Amino acid sequence: MFLIVAIAILVTMALAIVRALLGPSVYDRVLAVNVFGTKTALLLAVVAFLFGRPDFLDLALTYALINFVGVLAVLNFFQKRSSAAAKEKATQNHG
Amino acid sequence: MITVFAVFLLTLLVITAVAIVRTENLFIAVMLAAIFSLLMAANFFILDAADVALTEAAVGAGVTTVIFLSALALTASQERAKPSARMLSVGVVSVTVVVLLYATFDKPRLGDPNAPVQQHVAPWYLEQTPELIDIPNVVTAVLASFRGYDTLGEVFVVLAACIGVLFVLSAGTSGGPQPVRPETPGLRHHLIPKVVGRLLVPFIILFGLYVQFHGEYGPGGGFQAGAIIATAFILHALLEGESAGLRAIPRSALLTMAAGGAIIYAGVGILTMLLGGSFLDYSVLHSNSVKGQQYGIIAIEAGVGITVCGALLAIFHAFAAREQS
Repeated sequence: MFLIVAIAILVTMALAIVRALLGPSVYDRVLAVNVFGTKTALLLAVVAFLFGRPDFLDLALTYALINFVGVLAVLNFFQKRSSAAAKEKATQNHG
Repeated sequence: MITVFAVFLLTLLVITAVAIVRTENLFIAVMLAAIFSLLMAANFFILDAADVALTEAAVGAGVTTVIFLSALALTASQERAKPSARMLSVGVVSVTVVVLLYATFDKPRLGDPNAPVQQHVAPWYLEQTPELIDIPNVVTAVLASFRGYDTLGEVFVVLAACIGVLFVLSAGTSGGPQPVRPETPGLRHHLIPKVVGRLLVPFIILFGLYVQFHGEYGPGGGFQAGAIIATAFILHALLEGESAGLRAIPRSALLTMAAGGAIIYAGVGILTMLLGGSFLDYSVLHSNSVKGQQYGIIAIEAGVGITVCGALLAIFHAFAAREQS
């Protein structure tokens, strides 16, 4: 049972990588990374039970808590970049 | 089955690595590097190296992506390719690949009980840990006690790396503490990240403390806990803006943490010498030598965690300060 789930998750991970490689837009890639992070957390949880080491669930918990930070950093990056671009445009118009 | 999983994940790893090298858009490279780190952690986990996987999870999933993006904000978004050097690098890489492939033929098979690594000191560690230190996680016993000198060296390497990054990033600026400008809104105006993030911060810190103090029983320890707690404060700084992040922990406190943790570690070593043992021999810390070992491990793990947390946060804030100037 766990084995089937693990294989299904591995296939999903491969599909997410295909999306991250092909793009085409930047947002496809951001989404692919996000999906991949979630799938990694799931894979670790399933494999922990598959190997009979459920105490290793801590790792999946770490991913679940921390993945969010990377996505927020991406949001912050684009927010800063777009505001910097707007500022540049404004100074160019003045000059 | 383990082999099949590992080979599958390693194949994905190679594909991702080639894609990172080939892409010229640096943002895409950062996103693929995040996937690379996740794949690496999954591989470590499947090979049963839970402590390493937890480190990769704590550092790779959160902190590395954040620091890469901060670096990207300081530079151009496209890589400038130098076609002249390309043939040379392809040549060097292919020669290295051939040499490495040739070397793998001499390697023992995965999990071979007769491999040199299983014959040398590993059986002794596994045998003696219950008797000498009496903690379930042998990795922590090896890292903190048997090979405490190596870990002390690593902590000072983290401190040196932090000093190096701060030194490079402060080059070209006026020097001294830069005034924090108020115009860093962070993501305060976005409702969903704000609410979810504020909810998450205390739980991430709590989980970090759990990893710190549970290191003797399960995967975890100072390195991982330091990175997880640093991630919580980075999340806070992303949400509330740079200046709020620095108000929570000022820069001077971060540097004190980075240096203080290393001093705690070295101080434990000197304390054991003063008590009549050798450097970092924790047995003398308590009348019962097993108890003494456990106290020593708790003390040095705390030092490791404080250094890692302080160093990562100092690097993060140094990038952000550079962005503004």
